[in-house]
Amino acid sequence: MFSETKPWMRNTIYAWTAAVVVFIYIPIVVIIMASFVKSRFFRLPVRAWETKWYEEALTANLMHQLHLTSFYIAGSVAILSVILGFFGALAFARYEWKGRHLYQKLLMVPIFFPQAVLGLALLLWFTFLGIIPTWHTAIIAHLVWIAPIVTLVISIQVYGYDTAQEEAAFDLGANRFQVLREVTLPALAPGLLSGALFAFLLSWVNFSLSTYTTGADNTVTEWLYAKMIVGYTPLVPALGALSVYGSIIILVVGYLVYRARARSKAASS
Amino acid sequence: MTTRVPASPFRLSAGAKCAIPLGLLFLVAFVAPLSIVLGFSFLPERTFGFTGELTLENYEHFFTEGYYGTFLWTFGLAFAATCCCLVISYPVAYGLARVFGGWAAIITLIFVFPIFVSENLRLVGWTLVLLKGGGVLAYTINMLTGFETGTLLYGPGSILLGLTYVYLPFMIFPMTLGISMVPKEQVEAASDLGANRLQIWREVELPIAMPGILIGVLLTFVLAVGAIAEAKILGGQSIVPIAHSIQHEFTYAQNWPLGSAISVLAIVLVGIMVFFVLSRVDLDRLLGGR
Amino acid sequence: MTAKDGRKTILRIENLTKEFGHFTAINNVSLDIIDGEFFTIVGPSGSGKSTMLRILAGLERPTAGKVYIRDEVMNDVPANLRPTSMVFQSLALFNHKTVGQNIEFSQKMKGVGAKARRERCLEMMAMVHLPEDFVNKPITQCSGGERQRVALARALASDPDILFFDEPLSAMDFRLRKLLEVEFKDLHRRAKKTFVYITHSLEEAMIMSDRIAILRAGEVVQVGTPDEIYTTPNSKFVSEFMGEINTLEVERGKNGRFDCPQIGHSVKVANAPKDFDRGYLIIRPESVRFLKRKTDAENQATGILFNEYALGSRVQYHVKSAETTFIVERLREDAYQGNVDDEVMIGWDAADGILVSD
Repeated sequence: MFSETKPWMRNTIYAWTAAVVVFIYIPIVVIIMASFVKSRFFRLPVRAWETKWYEEALTANLMHQLHLTSFYIAGSVAILSVILGFFGALAFARYEWKGRHLYQKLLMVPIFFPQAVLGLALLLWFTFLGIIPTWHTAIIAHLVWIAPIVTLVISIQVYGYDTAQEEAAFDLGANRFQVLREVTLPALAPGLLSGALFAFLLSWVNFSLSTYTTGADNTVTEWLYAKMIVGYTPLVPALGALSVYGSIIILVVGYLVYRARARSKAASS
Repeated sequence: MTTRVPASPFRLSAGAKCAIPLGLLFLVAFVAPLSIVLGFSFLPERTFGFTGELTLENYEHFFTEGYYGTFLWTFGLAFAATCCCLVISYPVAYGLARVFGGWAAIITLIFVFPIFVSENLRLVGWTLVLLKGGGVLAYTINMLTGFETGTLLYGPGSILLGLTYVYLPFMIFPMTLGISMVPKEQVEAASDLGANRLQIWREVELPIAMPGILIGVLLTFVLAVGAIAEAKILGGQSIVPIAHSIQHEFTYAQNWPLGSAISVLAIVLVGIMVFFVLSRVDLDRLLGGR
Repeated sequence: MTAKDGRKTILRIENLTKEFGHFTAINNVSLDIIDGEFFTIVGPSGSGKSTMLRILAGLERPTAGKVYIRDEVMNDVPANLRPTSMVFQSLALFNHKTVGQNIEFSQKMKGVGAKARRERCLEMMAMVHLPEDFVNKPITQCSGGERQRVALARALASDPDILFFDEPLSAMDFRLRKLLEVEFKDLHRRAKKTFVYITHSLEEAMIMSDRIAILRAGEVVQVGTPDEIYTTPNSKFVSEFMGEINTLEVERGKNGRFDCPQIGHSVKVANAPKDFDRGYLIIRPESVRFLKRKTDAENQATGILFNEYALGSRVQYHVKSAETTFIVERLREDAYQGNVDDEVMIGWDAADGILVSD
């Protein structure tokens, strides 16, 4: 036997993967189709198409409010979890210290925890403390789940980072602050950036935690859920389709920036 | 001449210092709320403060009032969804780690992208697919075969589909990480020593990839246990998931102790699994390749 | 402080000890390193040499003892304020910076202006033979040899009094290592700095150093010039560290001779110390020769020739004799005329044997 995968196996794997991709994208494609439908309910065959639901999704005051709330939460979570995750990752992957292995395992616990149960426990906790849940409390709830994930993302970068670089900078006359600014942060920048992106997007789409911890404030996902249970209109797929386009733009721009930076680095040599 | 540098007795190591911020968050927003939940679960019905005798009646009610049915359905569906994800993911993960080569990055991106589209929205998409009569699936079948199909929505089957669908990426990525940890030389060595394809898989590939697979199983299962939207959007009200029971007790029924007891039982069951899996996984190796 | 021959001591280590918990990495070491010399600390892995260098550079604190640079106690001076620079084992180049940014780093930390920095950078690049147009090249695109030169230039650019090297060649392939050994030696002459180098290879140390210290389990075993260490190793450890050598267990016997049970008879040794009772007799492979008659050498042994290797200009033989195997090395033109499996007589002169303790 040769160590390469046999052709029939390769082909099966390609076909299987293609089928899974189709499976994953079916509902997304359907949502985009449904967003252009004229009638109130989506039914095949579609008789008339139009874009008025997009206009409403883009102009309605409520829509702006929903997006702002989601944005405030996701933005705050991204910033805070990168700060927490930066130090968390140093403790996780860089320093050899007494409690490290216990810390590593404890950090996994919130990730492997039923989110809705966590959200409800936090709801009880806030009510018990007399705090009225708003989007502020949702930030805390998101952080409990997202900060450990960001820590793992940054840790992967920290593992591959030669800490002798810091000693070298120190040896060449840099003080503690200069080492951080000139060496540690730039060297870990890709990890910090992808951590921030991850945090933002995970927070943006989160439902299980938000639904119990935002109080009277509503995020986009909460609104989608409510509308789905009662009162479906094509505003739902229109709004959804917009968020799909938004995610595509963020990912494509992110990818292009990454490519451009890599290329300008290569070109400067 | 000898001088001793005295070691300060109260100096935290750099690692411990870095762990403090996350540690504080963990205490305030994870340990404390869970302790409160645990505390309430031993208080009499409808108490809202730490007063009254400690009691086990909430746990009794859990069994006498049929909440275990909720548990069976939730855990059963989560288990089934995990199995489905396991089977669907393996060839994909194997491909990503071994076969796709330069394409792996793009294909990974294709699988990552849907995670960043709200899960509720994608479930809404499925309802439009599965709708009776004019749904995409029913329509397609009708067009191709002329058969009318009843609705596939609002039952355990559609919930299982939703869970499998939503949590599939959470299985694929850890599994890929696990499979890519298998050194090619070890596969070649096994082959050189006379093992056939199946034996290589069983004796070399599977054991080495196991940590990644276990993490995937755990993540999928736990997320599925905590899911609510699938049951609501795709399942109608046919099945009440655990989270919904707890929510009901915490809000409408205003019975914190019973809700807490249900939470505690769910946490304990999940906790046992998490402990079992994490004690078998070396995180340094999985994440850092050490 | 002034050394015996009038040259100045630049780095003095006094009773240095370093403990990690119950483990003693460095045990009461004292050394004087002279201004401008190429000083190498050699030891096997785990001998404490890396720890020693890290203490000297200010990256680690000693448990006890003192480090002086030019008569000033350095114990409480951190690495960034010491007049020293280090070339790290992993090189520790900043991968997110270019060649130029790496070399200019120390100047930038001092607040030197961009123009002056670049000037100094180009000067350093010339010194280590890096082409000028490399200045904007990303580190990630440099080859192994180029990275090595960048690391050197970066350390030199801070104009340190002492340059430390932490096994920078250990990960290099053989050819590159040989090339860089010569370059280091050459650079040392041109840069006029004190180099303190650590390595596990005595061969590498011999090629480059003015003086060598041999470290074993946290203690200095011997200090001397390469020549002194080669000709008069003071212990079995040092002699075996140098490479293949014949080591015989000996014990003082009658008539000033020494009994050697491994070859079954006594041997004659020149200049034996009076107080030497038991220990080892070291005989270099090139000092052993094949004998035609018993009287051709002061000491003899007989055995079976069972291996023969060509080592370029020399030939190495293994001769099994009683309880030991002798290694014999002869020049090619002086090769043994015979066959493997012959019974042969070999011998050496009393002056070629060196008595050492463990």
